[in-house]
Amino acid sequence: MAKVLGIDLGTTFSAMAVIEGGEPKIIENKEGARTTPSVIALAKNGETLVGVQARRQQITNPQNTISQVKRLIGRRFADEEVQKDKKLLPYEIRESKDGGIEIKMGEKWLKPAEISAMVLRKLKTDAEEKLGETITEAIITVPAYFDDSQRKETKVAGEIAGLEVKRVLNEPTAAALAYGLNKKKDEKIVVYDFGGGTFDISILEVSEDTIEVKATGGDTHLGGEDFDQKVMSWLVEQYQKEEGIDLAKDPLALQRLKEAAEKAKIELSSSLETEINLPFITSDSSGPKHLYFKMTRAQLESLVFEYIDKSMTLMEQTLKEAKVSVKDIDEIVLVGGQTRMPAIQEAAKKLFNKDPNRSINPDEVVALGAAIQGGILQGEVKDVLLLDVTPLSLGIETLGGVSTALIAKNTTIPATKSQVFSTAADNQTSVEVHVVQGERQMAQDNKSLGRFMLDGIPPASRGVPQVEVSFDIDANGILNVTAKDNASGKTQTIRIEGSSGISEEEAGRMRKDAEANEEVDKKRKEIVEARNMADTLIYAVEKTIKDAGDKITPEDKKNVEEKLDALRKVKDGEVVEEIQKTTQDLSEAIGKISASLNKEGQQQEAQSEEKEEDKKPEEGEDKKPEEGEAKEE
Amino acid sequence: MNVMDDQKAIEKLQKQVEEIKKEKEEFLAGWQRAKADLANYKKEEKERMQGLMEYVKQEFLFSFLSMVDNLERAEGELKEEEKNSKTVQGFLQIGKQLREFLKSQGIKEIEAQGKDFNPELHEAVATTQGENPGKVVEVLEKGYMIQDKLLRAVKVKVVK
Repeated sequence: MAKVLGIDLGTTFSAMAVIEGGEPKIIENKEGARTTPSVIALAKNGETLVGVQARRQQITNPQNTISQVKRLIGRRFADEEVQKDKKLLPYEIRESKDGGIEIKMGEKWLKPAEISAMVLRKLKTDAEEKLGETITEAIITVPAYFDDSQRKETKVAGEIAGLEVKRVLNEPTAAALAYGLNKKKDEKIVVYDFGGGTFDISILEVSEDTIEVKATGGDTHLGGEDFDQKVMSWLVEQYQKEEGIDLAKDPLALQRLKEAAEKAKIELSSSLETEINLPFITSDSSGPKHLYFKMTRAQLESLVFEYIDKSMTLMEQTLKEAKVSVKDIDEIVLVGGQTRMPAIQEAAKKLFNKDPNRSINPDEVVALGAAIQGGILQGEVKDVLLLDVTPLSLGIETLGGVSTALIAKNTTIPATKSQVFSTAADNQTSVEVHVVQGERQMAQDNKSLGRFMLDGIPPASRGVPQVEVSFDIDANGILNVTAKDNASGKTQTIRIEGSSGISEEEAGRMRKDAEANEEVDKKRKEIVEARNMADTLIYAVEKTIKDAGDKITPEDKKNVEEKLDALRKVKDGEVVEEIQKTTQDLSEAIGKISASLNKEGQQQEAQSEEKEEDKKPEEGEDKKPEEGEAKEE
Repeated sequence: MNVMDDQKAIEKLQKQVEEIKKEKEEFLAGWQRAKADLANYKKEEKERMQGLMEYVKQEFLFSFLSMVDNLERAEGELKEEEKNSKTVQGFLQIGKQLREFLKSQGIKEIEAQGKDFNPELHEAVATTQGENPGKVVEVLEKGYMIQDKLLRAVKVKVVK
């Protein structure tokens, strides 16, 4: 099946993605960038340049470098917006015979769709090169407020570029798809899209597999570039104040300032302070001049406060027009690089009293959503192979009542996992396997799915038998748990149906429960683990003393036995630190004796026991005995 | 009667077989696709990791290059008599060291001065009036190639 290319055809930048392995993935262009400037130029030598190359030569050839063509596509020349934009665009446009628009590029007059097609063709060619296959179908996104004519022209642009446009998709819908919000029912979603040069608001309503645009708003001439401009003006102003030199008159200095301003803005999204360090920015009669400023996040925020404030006012206005109240909004989706700014996220959070969705790269989310739409239209293999995940962890109860997960929650099924466990007591011949489900640390707090006994284990010292427990969960959520004694080869199995058939509410409640009890559970688990460690050490010490017989001096023996008694006394207490400290004391005492014992065999035995101890403190379950037997014996 | 019934039963079964065959093919195709997807994903993941490493290196080099730029700006401002100072000579030596490091990373400076403007490698940031339109008259910030790939375009002044 050929791939459908998802294209975010932006005003300043475009991006593309395809579905691979069931997941959307951004495709880099030939230059290795994840976004491509939506700029086309007719170079002096007659060559057509697209993307970054067109942008690089822009200032040498402004009349023949066409950017922001998205502002013109599908519009009438007489449109108010067109007349306004006309003054800002560096290239020439005129009215076509049918009342549309024509753009002058070289000697020719081209339709906006023909210009857009050049961007699309580059994307198509680059994607084909990258993927090694021919691309003939595409999904192209447009702003939600685009009318029929604008959509039709966008489709035509795709067709000129040799693409069959399977759908012209709304940008906010694409963003919602990327976040999987189409699966929610009866939800209202706000998409807040702050791009480089435009600010779009959309209110969506999701119902039974459709996403409907309820209202749109925004400002087509407000974007991240305005933020950069503000920072730049501030730098120029400050410099003028301090040095009395107007950097705005020096094009080279301005170029460096522009880059530095954008860099500072970006850095202040992740740090609270940044420095703008531009040595040799200019010079005067006294010699070279440098620029050095510190800028804090708060400073940046106060500079661009008006823009953020304006965006929120527009948001409230759009909500009002759509007759939707802030409370009705279930999800907020942030799109566009400028939404990385913490102040914008905060403002959105404050208005809606909800955390916005922002886990997907906001520059790429629309293209990713377009690719997903392509996948949906193709039907992919989803009907046949819909893979589920386990809603909760599956595991068994181990020594001290601890719940040890074998299959973690959110594991895609079918899946198989196994782990080796051992016995808790000497000559233990059976183990009980208690299968539990849930996120709590102690087995008793989780849901019990079933239990069984594996017997016939040949008698051996504790910790010696190897019991392999395997969990196998199939695509239908049927769980088979098998315990096998590696020495005797004896196995026992239990089949549990509907381990994943737990209701969404119940799973949610259980997860919440686990979160709420996280601290308490952690404490309890720590105590149990400390006790388990103490038990193992006591056992090892007793064995060492017994095996050593009178090879230990009476003083040493007395010393160890005192510490042994001390540990026996505290180990069932509730103070973790005390158990750990006393265990440590005993461990040191027996360590000294082990070292002084000459007989190698005994020495090795004691050490191997000790080593095992060292491994245990944190994830020590691997070889730990089952809990049930410890009690039985 | 019986023959008719049998015929019907056979037809029904045949239809079922057809359906099952079709379903089987669908399942097999889906399974094969899933396996292929995983295999491809693994390969791509490897490539992606490599790409990521390259990206990290590139980001590092970008920051590094802006320091080299500033150092070179400083060098450009030095007057001849200042170059006699031992301290200045020490700084110049550091500059040499940095350029040596770039070389060792397979990074080469892009020639631009006096050449025809080429947007594949050059970025025009200023223009000037002059005799040879389309020629680069001044390099304002150096550009670099890394193993025959463009790392950063040269910023140039071009004759209009």
